[in-house]
Amino acid sequence: MHNAPKNLSSYHKALHESLENAFLRKALDKFAVDYRASRANIFKDVPERELIAQIAAAKDRSCKRMDELFQQFKKEAEKRGAKVHFAQTAAEANEIIARIAQENKVKKIIKSKSMTAEETLLNHRLEQDGLDVTETDLGEWIIQIRNEPPSHMVMPAIHLSRDEVAEDFSRATKEKHGNDIGKLVKVARRELRRKFIEADMGISGANFAIAETGTIAIVTNEGNGRLVSTLPKVHVALIGIDKLTPTLEEALTALLVLPRNATSQRLTSYVTWIGGATAVTGAEDGKKEVHFVFLDNGRSGLAKDPLFSQVLRCVRCGACANVCPVYRLVGGHKMGYIYIGAIGIILSYFFFGRDKARVLAQNCVGCGACSDICAGGIDLPRLICEIRARLNDEEGVSTEISLLSSVMKSRTLFHTLLKFAKFAQRPLTGGTPFIRHLPQMFSGEHGFKALPALAPASFRERWETIRPNVPNPQRRVALFAGCAQDFIYPEQLVAAVRLLAAHNVDVDFPLEQSCCGLPLEAMGQRAVAADLARQNAKAFDSVRYDAILTLCASCASHIRHAYPSILGTDSDAFRARSFSEKTTDFSSFVHDVLGLDAGHFVNKGQKVCYHASCHLCRGLGVRDAPRALIRASAEYVPAAEEELCCGFGGSYSVKFPEISAQLLDKKLEHYAAAGASRLVVDCPGCVMQLRGGATKKGMTLTVTHLAELLAENIK
Amino acid sequence: MTESTQPLVDAFKEKAALVAAQVSEAADLKEALHRVVQICEEKAPCELLAPEPGTKSGPLSENKLPTRAQRIIAAPGLSAEDFAVLEKACEAKGFLCIRGGLRNYLAGFDVGLAWADFAVAASGTCAVPTTDEEVRLATMICESSVLLLRKSAIKPDLASIAQRLREMQTTDNPEYTTFITGPSRTADIERVLAIGVHGPLELHVILLEG
Repeated sequence: MHNAPKNLSSYHKALHESLENAFLRKALDKFAVDYRASRANIFKDVPERELIAQIAAAKDRSCKRMDELFQQFKKEAEKRGAKVHFAQTAAEANEIIARIAQENKVKKIIKSKSMTAEETLLNHRLEQDGLDVTETDLGEWIIQIRNEPPSHMVMPAIHLSRDEVAEDFSRATKEKHGNDIGKLVKVARRELRRKFIEADMGISGANFAIAETGTIAIVTNEGNGRLVSTLPKVHVALIGIDKLTPTLEEALTALLVLPRNATSQRLTSYVTWIGGATAVTGAEDGKKEVHFVFLDNGRSGLAKDPLFSQVLRCVRCGACANVCPVYRLVGGHKMGYIYIGAIGIILSYFFFGRDKARVLAQNCVGCGACSDICAGGIDLPRLICEIRARLNDEEGVSTEISLLSSVMKSRTLFHTLLKFAKFAQRPLTGGTPFIRHLPQMFSGEHGFKALPALAPASFRERWETIRPNVPNPQRRVALFAGCAQDFIYPEQLVAAVRLLAAHNVDVDFPLEQSCCGLPLEAMGQRAVAADLARQNAKAFDSVRYDAILTLCASCASHIRHAYPSILGTDSDAFRARSFSEKTTDFSSFVHDVLGLDAGHFVNKGQKVCYHASCHLCRGLGVRDAPRALIRASAEYVPAAEEELCCGFGGSYSVKFPEISAQLLDKKLEHYAAAGASRLVVDCPGCVMQLRGGATKKGMTLTVTHLAELLAENIK
Repeated sequence: MTESTQPLVDAFKEKAALVAAQVSEAADLKEALHRVVQICEEKAPCELLAPEPGTKSGPLSENKLPTRAQRIIAAPGLSAEDFAVLEKACEAKGFLCIRGGLRNYLAGFDVGLAWADFAVAASGTCAVPTTDEEVRLATMICESSVLLLRKSAIKPDLASIAQRLREMQTTDNPEYTTFITGPSRTADIERVLAIGVHGPLELHVILLEG
């Protein structure tokens, strides 16, 4: 019943099915918008960032001493009559639980929700022994009836409509039910109460395992966790060893974030703390059997990995799916394998192997919405890139990618090829700045936006003629152009140079600079990305400049965040670090450093919207500067979901055009509704996507870089 | 009541109301127990969710389920003395008042009464010691869960109850504690909130001085 895509073409087909599912699209779209608002509201009364940092630090400490915590937990729990087991693998865990069932002559089992049991495929194993297993979480019960996997870690049946649930319940109970949600819930209450009463074993998961007290905690809303652990004589909890925490305090801190992130609640209806085998009135001997089964299944290996150990911070809140623009379009059955969302992509690689992760790992647009809200502060998009790199190392790459890599290694080769391409494209552009006649490979699904042509003269070719003469400069900056602006949109850089020079900033443009390397990193081409980082660090003698400016949010974010770690302890690392630290995005420099405000611009009152590029608002945390600059030079018109990804994502829009196009549509809808005549962006990649889409749709919206708006309105 | 408890009481009431808990105050335990009987009297008859041979049933519920003819209040956590007061009040109404053998009524009963040990104002949460299985059943099988809470036991936040929770969990005996924040709920179908899935349909908290 669990399926992972086998290859890209079957995956595209599956994605299409989801994109055409009108109910799913509407439901997830509404959820994405509602969730963002309710989450923001519920976090108002706690210090979100501080708590997330605390959780991350505590989890990092715990995962270094899981063995020790396990031993302590075992000792404490066994003092109070619980039996504690350790399973190295999923199969071992399932065997232990099957044996407990056998020893207690169990026939009927009730379960409360456990992602860990999904991970081990426990139900399949128990059903092999002829055991009757019933899921009691409402969502889990619905998908069990349908024989489907969960499509969300917290709301397993979010992909289904009330009509579908009514049909499923009618079939399961052999009785006709209408689609009233309140009544359907009551059907489950009645049907499952009987199952609770009849069961002789209950299986749950656990959200925390506290070593100092030997207690587990289960976080639920429906109350089934309490019934599962109380009514049957035998209770088994299956727990990942990553749930071990030294003291109650860590759990209580995490409880401030987990329910808020998962379901926008201050606390769930129930938090159940179970410490040992309490007396049971239902059994003849009055004795309860409580078994805590701990599962490793690769976790202790992960804990040793310097980069991936952070995966163990995951509290399974599911929020990374809630904010993922791709999940919003295609749902959890297409965006994960057992575990859903960004964390699902990563866990699939470690828990279920390369086969399950290979295709899924490609489907991340890299917008960073997930890492921005992760309860454990996990850098999810970076880890997904890293998995692509590992897959490439393990399995090799396609001819296209290796060819591209060898070109990118040499700046002169790359730039010479671009020069040739400029002449070669003439028959395709018809003299316009767009590619008018698409080669066959770019037609069809790729035709959702007008593709830009290469500029007649690149910025580097024009540099000597536009280089400003600033007699008494107050500041000195160097421009890092990035490929898109150097070769496609040099006018954006020209505008910036004009604005800077007008405010006494001397500008330099080191010609040895090359691609920042982000596209290569995103394709998992780590070695070439590192090579490019080295070349760029060398091209800029950073001590000579007050700042290194880039008008591309993606380049800026990559240089700032990735350069130091990509080069690591490399001999060029020091130079790269200094280059990285000096790198500043355009808006921050102009607004925060130069201090440009309304007094510096002629404001003609043009109505201007803003698209917040992922790499700027989340990547660099720059939110106010660009909006303040728009207000200073025009009339800022707020639009819905300004921070939602436009769907470009570099090579993502080529790999998943069907998704990229839908993301773009959503953005353009919002800007059309806002009613502005111009849309400004701080990133040439987003300009390419949004201008291409607006042009293709024949919208009157002008899409430019923010620098162009500012340069046009210099006082 | 001291001045310092009032802000916590107010915060608790506000947050509990946000999760559909019904909070009221009582001058003393006698008044509180009287309110419990009133809650039982005013609610719809209890649905029988499973067959219970020998039990007299009343008219079908709106969900077309048989209902319990005689109302039941379960109060296993009360002292013998307090239970006697409640029992007497129940007798007057013709309700059955029980303090043990709750497993005989797993199809559902009307009201479950229990003492909360402490509460958390920041989330409107009550911490209920439920190591005694009868108390646990009282708080989960009932349709209306009523918790008694002393105002002085309301603490500001989760961090401030860590030590108390630790003490409860590190005795020599097995232990089971439940944090309760509002009635049982789900949003598993189309994210529409529905109250009363497997647990109580209502949660009442009665605040007592002291």
